[in-house]
Amino acid sequence: MKRRILVYLVVVPLCLVWLLPVWTSLLVAFKNLDDYASQSFWQLPSQWNFVDNVKYAWNKAKLGTYFINSLLYGVAGAAGSIILASLASFSIVRLRPKGANLLFALIFSGTVFPFQMYLVPLYKGYQELNLYDTKLGMMLFYISICTPFATLIFRAFFSTIPNELMEAARLDGCSDLRIYLQMFMPLSLPAAAVVAVFQFTWVWNDLLFGLILTCSADTRPIMVGLAQLQGARAAANMPGLMAGAVIASIPTIALFTALRRYFIQGLALQTAGE
Amino acid sequence: MRRALRKAAPYIYILPALFFVGAFLLAPMLYTFYLSFTQYDLMTPPRFIGLDNYRRLLTEPNFLTSLTNTFVWMLGTLLLPVGLGLFIAVVVDRVALAGVFKSVFYIPLTISAVATGLIWTWMYGPDLGVLNTILRAVGLSGWARSWLTEVPTNTLAMIAAWTWKMTGQNMIIFLVGLQAIPKEPVEAVKLEGATEWQTFRYVVFPLLRPMTMVVVTMSLINSLNQFDLIYVMTQGGPYRSSETLAVTMYRESFTMFHMGYGASIAIVLSIIVILLSGSYLRANLKQEGAQ
Repeated sequence: MKRRILVYLVVVPLCLVWLLPVWTSLLVAFKNLDDYASQSFWQLPSQWNFVDNVKYAWNKAKLGTYFINSLLYGVAGAAGSIILASLASFSIVRLRPKGANLLFALIFSGTVFPFQMYLVPLYKGYQELNLYDTKLGMMLFYISICTPFATLIFRAFFSTIPNELMEAARLDGCSDLRIYLQMFMPLSLPAAAVVAVFQFTWVWNDLLFGLILTCSADTRPIMVGLAQLQGARAAANMPGLMAGAVIASIPTIALFTALRRYFIQGLALQTAGE
Repeated sequence: MRRALRKAAPYIYILPALFFVGAFLLAPMLYTFYLSFTQYDLMTPPRFIGLDNYRRLLTEPNFLTSLTNTFVWMLGTLLLPVGLGLFIAVVVDRVALAGVFKSVFYIPLTISAVATGLIWTWMYGPDLGVLNTILRAVGLSGWARSWLTEVPTNTLAMIAAWTWKMTGQNMIIFLVGLQAIPKEPVEAVKLEGATEWQTFRYVVFPLLRPMTMVVVTMSLINSLNQFDLIYVMTQGGPYRSSETLAVTMYRESFTMFHMGYGASIAIVLSIIVILLSGSYLRANLKQEGAQ
């Protein structure tokens, strides 16, 4: 009984508070500059200007270029970390060489420290290795930063695969590499999906490393472009900015909607330590 | 030869991951540790100065403001996104329309911190902004203000935006925990005539404790590492009044080129994070032995 009252008195108003920012921001993205300046936030635009705002953001503010860049980085980060982490986890969990736990701890320590610990040496090192402001440099970094968490997930997943399967395959004369490729990888599709969803989203949403490792439009990731578009607010094109925010959110919204299950599994796995 | 290769093979599988993590994360980390004992401006080689950077931290007003803000952020995170996430999870669990309510709180999960910052900068706008418009409309124009340029309102306003972003994530984790709670004890105390509140306080909440610990730890660490929102909404300003350690480190290193001093801030931040995550880390590393 009481719970139902709580739901209507508190949760429903909270839902409205949660929806308001999205709703009003979307409205701004549909307005032209005049409507934006003269109307109140709840009023519908007198002219639907969404397409022009998107064009402004995509072409003039170059979010189109950054969008493609970030797609590349996100796919590279997810795919690269899936390969590296699954290979390493296979060995850590199934081949169990001496010191495997220590090696895992080393890889896993990449999730422990704040990102601020990496910034200056990366910046300096990238300049010396000519990786600064290159797509290759960005991809290499994103693969690296995605690998520790991916290893955690694959390790947890591989240890649920029964040992008998592997023993049987070995008796049949399969090499370890073949067991990994033909047995563990196909079985680990759910784990790969969790890693892909999580790490693509992480790379897509990253601002900090894009800020310090790139400086030109050719390599800039989307979040840096979006933040800088806001920084150039002197132009005060709020509708264009909001259209940009919509563009920048589409891939992650689509991923989440399509693969919500894996997203929630990933969150739950983060807590699996308990 | 072949035997040697067979013995080395397991390590070869681990090597690529270890190489990437080592080269791009662990080596930079060690170098930052070294830099924190030096004076370094990128142009001239680092000069060893012992503990001078750390001594400077103790007296630098900007750092102390930043440290204070960091603790305000941590406290705010515990009260708002965690508390609210727990509240919503408990209330919404197994109620009609739960799916709809949950979906609403999922929305911010799909939006980046940068976009969240843009949205809330618009919400807090001094003239056209949504919040001030509403306050004026309901006759509270005295409350309307420039939310992001007044101290300490700016930090609190950003924590509110962060609450909007993170509550849904905490709600999800709490819901996972609630679903794992055995039904029998809950049903039993209800039969005994316990109220909803008593059931929650004496049965559900204690059973949820492990999950609460995880959410608290993760939320605190997330708020410590939080950079994007502040960068977008205030850039740490005005006059560096709303910086947290993560932002101060970035500013000292990349706009003022005090790389050594910045490194010492990164170390302080790391120490706080490690202290907080100790139990969580132990659990994750121990998992191996538990199989």
